[in-house]
Amino acid sequence: MKFPLHWLFLFFIFSSIVLASIEAWGQHQGFTEVKDIAGFKLQFRQSAVKVNSLKGEFAQEKTMAAITEKIRSRGTLWFKRDNKVRMDYTTPFLYKVVINGDRMAISDNNHETKVNAASNKLFQQINRIMIDCMQGTILDSKDFSSKVFENESRYLIELVPTAKNLKPFLSTIILTIDKKDHSPDAIELNEPSGDKTSIVLKNKSINGQLQDEVFSI
Amino acid sequence: MRFFLFSVSVYLFFGCSSYYKNLSRTEVDHECLERIKPRPVSKSWYHASVDVFGKHLSGLLLIKPMADHSHRVVFSNESGITFFDFEFGSDGSFSVKRIIEQLDRRPVITTLKEDFELILGKPFLQPLTSWKHDNETYFGIENGRERIYFTTTDCKSLGRIEIGSRKKRKVSVSLVGDISSAPEGIIITHFTFPMTINLNKFENHVEE
Repeated sequence: MKFPLHWLFLFFIFSSIVLASIEAWGQHQGFTEVKDIAGFKLQFRQSAVKVNSLKGEFAQEKTMAAITEKIRSRGTLWFKRDNKVRMDYTTPFLYKVVINGDRMAISDNNHETKVNAASNKLFQQINRIMIDCMQGTILDSKDFSSKVFENESRYLIELVPTAKNLKPFLSTIILTIDKKDHSPDAIELNEPSGDKTSIVLKNKSINGQLQDEVFSI
Repeated sequence: MRFFLFSVSVYLFFGCSSYYKNLSRTEVDHECLERIKPRPVSKSWYHASVDVFGKHLSGLLLIKPMADHSHRVVFSNESGITFFDFEFGSDGSFSVKRIIEQLDRRPVITTLKEDFELILGKPFLQPLTSWKHDNETYFGIENGRERIYFTTTDCKSLGRIEIGSRKKRKVSVSLVGDISSAPEGIIITHFTFPMTINLNKFENHVEE
């Protein structure tokens, strides 16, 4: 039995569309891939810049795949443009991290450590990821390649590290952005081992008054 | 000047003398031994604080007994990135499941392995020897040039868990709280280089 050539051609086109849809659906359920990345970047950059400050509560969950273990923590997050982020973990342990430009301060059990992120490449990169995720500049990062997906209410940005020193720590970062105000909803850090950490932001207050002292180091 | 010379002589005399000079071997009191012997820690989460060579870092340490009777000791930072994951087998085996490049050095792994083996009571699964000094009883083993032991003064409570070289202490572990299964606090002090690990237990209410 012989198939006409145009039938074969149509079959391949149809199969490709189905496979691409299955792949996209399998990757991020309910999201479809945004093809015009350049157009998206431009529009995203213009919209994200409108988020000048943010205060919210976060819920963090780390899942350890190999030993079927989870740990949940909670706290408060503050962001102020440019380059200021603070996270206070309040439950089940106390821990504070403040990023202010190139400087970083970490407090645990009344012990404070100050780090000049510029002097440590890894700190600088981790610093940068957090800042870039908050202020919407992550798509410009040279440390990651990116794909963008969307559904009705959210964008989902999938970042794969290209920087050699980040690859042992991270396989992907999934950043979810609210389409209404272009503020981050959730960040998911996936490790090569299969472990993952998700940070979900709740009760966000955007562009409220936020003093610089909140980020003092 | 004479006082200075005397002080230096006294310091040198006692400084060079063996920490274990006055230990004398005794018969093992098995009842006492079983009462205070360090038991493997049950599943516990600790907030860890590490000071080493003037540097400070913190993180979360999980000690988890597994179904096959092995133990996993996992250290991650507060943001969730795993620094190392060690497996201590029930047969005495040890394997590194995961470690970040910055910590992947033989002396670092050996030091941490020995520290956690003390917490898990691994060296004390074999027949033990006993020594005495004043009112303190030591139970332990001699392993080549090292002596690994735990102490008690009253046969009711555990004193310290330690590793010593022939002459001096190398590392000491103190447990705080319920030492039978999950101590509230664990302090690991090294004497041959400046490192202290402070572990404070916290409750993690997550249903699996």
